[in-house]
Amino acid sequence: MADPRPQQEARRRFHEELATLEDDIHRCGELAERALTRAMEALMERDPAKADEVIAGDDELDELYISVERRWLEVMALQTPVATDLRLMSVILHVNFHLERIGDMAVNIAKMSQLTRHLPTNPTILSHLQEMADVVRPMIRAAMEAFARRDLQLALRLPDMDEPVDRLNRGMYREVAACGLEHDLIEWAAAMMVVSRQLERVGDHAVDVAEQVAFLLTGEFREFTDASHPGAEDDE
Amino acid sequence: MVTDEREHVKVQIEARHQERPAPRIGEPVFRLESVTVAYDEQEAIRDITLDVPANQITAIIGPSGSGKSTMIRVLNRMNDLIPSARVSGKVLYNGQDLYEPAVDPVEVRRRIGMVFQKPNPFPKSIYENVAFGLRVNGMTERLDDRVEQALRAAALWDEVKSDLRKNAYDLSGGQQQRLCIARAIAVEPDTILMDEPASALDPIATQRIEDLMFELKDQYSIVIVTHNMQQAARVSDMTAFLTVEVSQEGKQRTGVLAEYDRTEVVFTNPSDPRTEAYITGRFG
Repeated sequence: MADPRPQQEARRRFHEELATLEDDIHRCGELAERALTRAMEALMERDPAKADEVIAGDDELDELYISVERRWLEVMALQTPVATDLRLMSVILHVNFHLERIGDMAVNIAKMSQLTRHLPTNPTILSHLQEMADVVRPMIRAAMEAFARRDLQLALRLPDMDEPVDRLNRGMYREVAACGLEHDLIEWAAAMMVVSRQLERVGDHAVDVAEQVAFLLTGEFREFTDASHPGAEDDE
Repeated sequence: MVTDEREHVKVQIEARHQERPAPRIGEPVFRLESVTVAYDEQEAIRDITLDVPANQITAIIGPSGSGKSTMIRVLNRMNDLIPSARVSGKVLYNGQDLYEPAVDPVEVRRRIGMVFQKPNPFPKSIYENVAFGLRVNGMTERLDDRVEQALRAAALWDEVKSDLRKNAYDLSGGQQQRLCIARAIAVEPDTILMDEPASALDPIATQRIEDLMFELKDQYSIVIVTHNMQQAARVSDMTAFLTVEVSQEGKQRTGVLAEYDRTEVVFTNPSDPRTEAYITGRFG
């Protein structure tokens, strides 16, 4: 009978690599959340240095994203994971993508803050944007905590957390229209619609991460919200 | 009296065979009900209950000593050849209890062919290897056609058609295994049992056997025992995972069925933690 030890050693290394990949995903989550926090501070405080910091800092997140992708491919090719390991690998790939996109959205917000820092502002719009940011940052954290703790109940809370973000984003059109016809203010407000849209997308990515967590824990993938049939469950 | 009954059951099995289609794809060709096999006092497998679907590939996986080979040998009464073996429970084949005293085990093995781990051609020509079983079973009409048909079905014809008189031992290991498959299917079985059919083959020969299994399942139900979990994942529709239960004194090791489900379920979301631990390597 073949000596089982070499195979167990190979499996041990595989599981160590899997744990390292997951650690790096959580590091990506921290970087993405921090980038979003800094980007909103740059916007609210009109601080170009913070905006520059966010833009430059995205390289670290991108490098980690690419590193995870490269090692993910190696693990798939060499270790052919199955069962929970396979689901975790799938989740790592998806969550890595979502977090990288959140980082890009933070960069977009930072760039908007730079483009608009000499323009007049509207306090209502700023207040709504701050409110949105105050929801989506905890959403990122909650989704990543649900992942780390394998907490299905926490993951299932994400769609409810996302609801005010969607509502505020929809209301942003009215706020922008209420800014009147003053050219510089309109230019600033149009840029803030882009910021609003970025924040709304960050919320969606956080929900997507939570969907991945649910898949990891249950083995069944389903979208928490169905964009093509919005409110279908409430139509009764 | 027993001889008459055997003749009767043989005719019944024959009639069922000729009356095909029976069973339809996915319907059980085998039904195991609480099957236990013991060698002397040692239970090799205990209380196995499962249905093997027709025209699909069913893989049996599990660690060494979990009774995989014992289980597959139950399906064509190969354990009869071991004097100490006792089988209890029911093994129904197309509804017929294979272990009824009146059932002729030779007829069973014709209907349910078997391919072993190591290619075991006879020391004869390629042609004779395939023709042998046909002659023994009185299927001598259009013998050349039958031999060709079996070799074609085993994806070997193009490689050997120019020299059918060549000794089978001169073929490569992969070709010898496909010759054994041709020999098994020449006598027109319903089912082919494969006990580690590719474990002695290189990756290319293994792939040919796996491709062949896909081609054969339109006509045959296939049960395969394999140590290679990726092979089970690649080729099978259903996977049974056998695990080992050790008695309290640690003296007896018995195979039990931990999980039986569609292969994609077993390899992505197994329901039994023992399956999960085994296939992900989190054991020992």
